[in-house]
Amino acid sequence: VTRAARGAGAKRALVALFLAVGRAGPAVAQAAVPPADSAAPIDSAIARDTALERRTAEIAARLRCPVCQGLSILDSPSELAQNMRRLVRDQLAAGRTPAEIEAYFINSYGEWVLLKPPARGANLTVWLLPGLLLLGGGWVVWVAVRRWVRQGAAGGGGSAGTAVPEAGSPQGGAVAAVLPATLPELQARRDALRRALSELDAELADGELTRENYDLLKRRDETELAAVRAALKQRRAPPAAAARPQPAARPRRRVPPAVMWGGGIVAFGVVAVISLRGSVATRTGDNPMTGIQFGGGDEPAPAIGAPIDAAQLASLEGRVARDSNDYAALLELGHLYLRQQRMQPAAVVSIRAIQLRPRAKESGEGFAHLAMILWSSSDVEPALQAIEQALQLDPNQPEALLYKGIILFAGANDPAGAVSAWERYLEVAPPGAETARVRGMLEAARQQAR
Amino acid sequence: VSWKRVAIPLAGLPVVALLAYGLTRDATLVPSPLPGRPAPDFAMSALSGDSVRLADLRGQVVLLNFWASWCLPCLQEHPLLVAADERWREQGLRIVGVVYQDSPGNARDWLRERGGEWVHGLDPGSRLAIEYGLFGVPETFFIDRAGVIRYKHVGPLTADVVSTWVTRLLADSSAAAPDTTPSSAQPRSRGAS
Repeated sequence: VTRAARGAGAKRALVALFLAVGRAGPAVAQAAVPPADSAAPIDSAIARDTALERRTAEIAARLRCPVCQGLSILDSPSELAQNMRRLVRDQLAAGRTPAEIEAYFINSYGEWVLLKPPARGANLTVWLLPGLLLLGGGWVVWVAVRRWVRQGAAGGGGSAGTAVPEAGSPQGGAVAAVLPATLPELQARRDALRRALSELDAELADGELTRENYDLLKRRDETELAAVRAALKQRRAPPAAAARPQPAARPRRRVPPAVMWGGGIVAFGVVAVISLRGSVATRTGDNPMTGIQFGGGDEPAPAIGAPIDAAQLASLEGRVARDSNDYAALLELGHLYLRQQRMQPAAVVSIRAIQLRPRAKESGEGFAHLAMILWSSSDVEPALQAIEQALQLDPNQPEALLYKGIILFAGANDPAGAVSAWERYLEVAPPGAETARVRGMLEAARQQAR
Repeated sequence: VSWKRVAIPLAGLPVVALLAYGLTRDATLVPSPLPGRPAPDFAMSALSGDSVRLADLRGQVVLLNFWASWCLPCLQEHPLLVAADERWREQGLRIVGVVYQDSPGNARDWLRERGGEWVHGLDPGSRLAIEYGLFGVPETFFIDRAGVIRYKHVGPLTADVVSTWVTRLLADSSAAAPDTTPSSAQPRSRGAS
């Protein structure tokens, strides 16, 4: 209750502020605020808000949006995520620490709500497994490579013995004499020898064989295997090829399964580490994508209206900082803040602009901003009053007409009113990005008005 | 027999088992930490214009139902709530609706067509929804007489769920029920009449 009340308090103050400006009239409003030449309040309000905004974004980037798939509430445009961001901002403004705010969300949603769960308990698996896989894979590769090297050394030393025995050499002749004659028998013998060789390796590793015996047996089997292979090859090869002297074909080395396994696990580990690191990293506002962006960062999905131009925002803030009476800059800044959903500073600069020139036609835009700010906190009636103020100053103020339609349609359940506001908007507004959106809304409102 | 021939496939087995287990789970269902905890208190303004506070309902069984007029499954479960209200109100069941991301006007129209005379709170900014860890609508919390959340139901209610939990919580006298406790002589069902 208290939390909700605290959040509502700020909005209520805003409503009161608006009512002071709107109802009591410009004269009273002017008296109630600091003199026009002091830029300090606006400046510090904006600075405070910018810092708050940054801290909000930092926390929001760590919280998972409940209605999305793997998006933070910073990245998600959904209504619930917007509300959660607002809650984060309000709690920060109320002086809560980031840890307290995270605890609040964990209390409601469980640890699930953290995009990067704390490294303890079962969660540790995610942190440790890649490392363990990497170590395991490294070990397998190391063992395999060591064996390779040893085999290479043994093969190099006895290459004359293990290579295809030349016909006529006593050893070759001896082996050939006991070789089986038929093709299937040869193949079976070859398979048996392969099995025997790999079992020798295992027996050596298990300590069942002495090194000497191993070397002896291995050389014997390898020699026979080479002979069997040569015999097989001769049978398969066309006679012409068989007649030609064979280049000394060393037994083809097959990649041992352990290396395949090891290599696979290492590759998997590397990919896992890289992608996990990317996907659990905290994103900032500049890089609002969860996970690694492969293939050139495309422009972000367009939000409502054109994207906010940061340079334009900065230059407007600079103009207002230099001269807090820069009427045009104040109005434009209010517009940008509103689009960024930064209601507090949007209200500050819009009210400021209205105070500077209460009866100017252009101040209608300021009132339109106030209407949207009030509407965002569900204050429908005051929002509509602000719209009326805006339209009194300028009956063709496009923003006021646009917002009037939105508030009537979504807030006051008055689709007919929305239809006439939006029809008027389409008449007076210069065609732009909003036009298509308004046409769509207009269509929906017309159907509902029927 | 070489130990490696056995060990390597065996090492892969837990991984495969883990993945297979993962396939049997619904990733969209997240266990809520709330059941077993005291229900977060709230004070909302209601559609009818008055207000509703959870603290005022202490001693009753509260069925807190988040809904919206744009939500189709809410339409499906609504008759169950109407029936539950009729059947168990006198025994101490209080249904509290919370209008979620919806305009009061739409909510009122929706209720006018379909009934549902219990109190419906408004939740601007979804504050209460967030405090209750809501993922979407409908979601329903069964709160016992002591104010403890005993069960959270995600998605449209079923008759089984409603009657099981409501009767269980109504019968649960561990929390001191005030004078509204019905005597056993009261008819069990008013809905049938």
